[in-house]
Amino acid sequence: MEYTRKLVDKLSVEQLKVELLNTAYGNDRTFLAKLDPRTLFIWYSFFGIVPWFIHNEKVLAGMFLFMAAATFTARVSPVIIFILCLGLLGQGGYLFIAALFFGGDWAVMYPLLVLTLKLSVISLASIAAFCSMDPEKLSNGLLKIGVPGQAAFSIAYGYRMLPTLIEEYQHVFQSFRLRGKAPEKHGFLYWRTIAYFIKLAVLSFYPLLLSMAKRARTTVEALETKGSLNGFNDPAVKKLKLSGLKMGRADYGFLLFSAVYAAALFILF
Amino acid sequence: MAKLSERYKLTQSQKMMVFILSMSLYGLSNMITELIPEVYIGPIEFSVEYFAFIPLTLCILFHPLYAAIGASVGEIIFGELMLGQFGGFGELEKFIAFSLAMYVAGTFVRDPKNKIQVGIAAMLGVIIHQFISMTVDVLKVWVGVEELEVVPGLAESVVIIEGFYFLNDIFFSGILFALLPTVYLVPRLYGKIEPLLGMKPRERTDRYSLKEVIGPRLVAGGLVLASLAFMFEFLSETDFNPVDWEADLGGGLETTLIWVSIGMAFLIAVSVIAVMVKRRRDNMPPGPGGVAS
Repeated sequence: MEYTRKLVDKLSVEQLKVELLNTAYGNDRTFLAKLDPRTLFIWYSFFGIVPWFIHNEKVLAGMFLFMAAATFTARVSPVIIFILCLGLLGQGGYLFIAALFFGGDWAVMYPLLVLTLKLSVISLASIAAFCSMDPEKLSNGLLKIGVPGQAAFSIAYGYRMLPTLIEEYQHVFQSFRLRGKAPEKHGFLYWRTIAYFIKLAVLSFYPLLLSMAKRARTTVEALETKGSLNGFNDPAVKKLKLSGLKMGRADYGFLLFSAVYAAALFILF
Repeated sequence: MAKLSERYKLTQSQKMMVFILSMSLYGLSNMITELIPEVYIGPIEFSVEYFAFIPLTLCILFHPLYAAIGASVGEIIFGELMLGQFGGFGELEKFIAFSLAMYVAGTFVRDPKNKIQVGIAAMLGVIIHQFISMTVDVLKVWVGVEELEVVPGLAESVVIIEGFYFLNDIFFSGILFALLPTVYLVPRLYGKIEPLLGMKPRERTDRYSLKEVIGPRLVAGGLVLASLAFMFEFLSETDFNPVDWEADLGGGLETTLIWVSIGMAFLIAVSVIAVMVKRRRDNMPPGPGGVAS
């Protein structure tokens, strides 16, 4: 009970906003955060795909160590890692129970653990790479590798708008609660209360849909006035915007080190 | 009557508006569903998978293509990137599956005031999406675990589990969070929300065609991806992995390895808890700041 209360404390709306902004902007001084986004994309495209096709558990373990070190230096928020572990253990556990049920034995455990190891390498790689980039860097990097300007814009827009949206949603939700009547009895396993809250959560989107529609219109009108809709995919604008991106010595060094490390794993095992 | 068969066209700015609207709202809903805890009763999981009614409503009311893509982008940005759970290439599959499902659901509805049509479309969207993700999940385990045939029961159990999740999602999430809210919202918003974006409501005669989405580029890309996946799979079956661990590992070593893996998971768990405890302690004296060091 104590534990759940602590968890609920952590999940307050304010805390959530702080945590989000922290994830987005909090760690720009780590080593990975100083690298060029393209370096991280290349790095990730190796460690995000290759583990799928490796079945040698020693190589996977070596990669896992590397990923763990990278994630550690990237100073990823512990909440994120906690969620990741829960997800991995949960999935593996379910598969294991079901496999036992269908006539497997303890030998099932081993391949499942290898699979979990593999999945954790991949997830850690993505966490290390993408948590190290602040939104601006990420959208610039995406623009550079040819993703349409609209998508790059939406990332920046999303980060800007989210705190406002969360607040507005909370206001609508609370005003529904204020005017509505909560069920008097909790019912079996609190189902009445749960159903009531879920219904409110869904209903709160009705006013939000309308107000967000107005806001979308204002945004697009503002974009039009600034000529952004044309500028998104204009080569000259792009060039000017992305002139700050440079591959430095650290980038090449990091890529070289990763390549040597991966090659060493394959040769040794 | 030539005017009636004209397709529903939007200007560049209107497309962008629909995109932004759909992205922000579905992104927000994704954040909320991440926070709602899951309830397990035995092996049955009652979780709010997603608030599918938002993209469904928007796809039915506006141009389905932009609403669908906007929703998928919103999910990736708000639900994954901002929470630090971006899955990289795995997101590609989600993106395609979800956009496709929502788009089909949106094109299915001719008359947004017809509740039966809206209801069928909502369920259709959820079923398509869940079916694609189920198939992908099963394939992931089948590709990821090479010794699938060696382990009795694993292949079947994956299919059973994923199939079970599929039905669970359709009957629980699908009805509660797609069917009912969509049928409630669409007729209410129809004619009200469109003027806010400066466009006229969709009419019964508007038509979309699948050709807009399934162009030659998409088909070609899909073929290339599929053949690449097949090639990698083939490689991994033959030469990629010359060491056959089944043959040269005795029982003793195998158990040690299991313990190593368990130890690793345990180590991660312990270190995470330790860091969390430490951070809590660090945060205590200065008050609520959250930014340690």
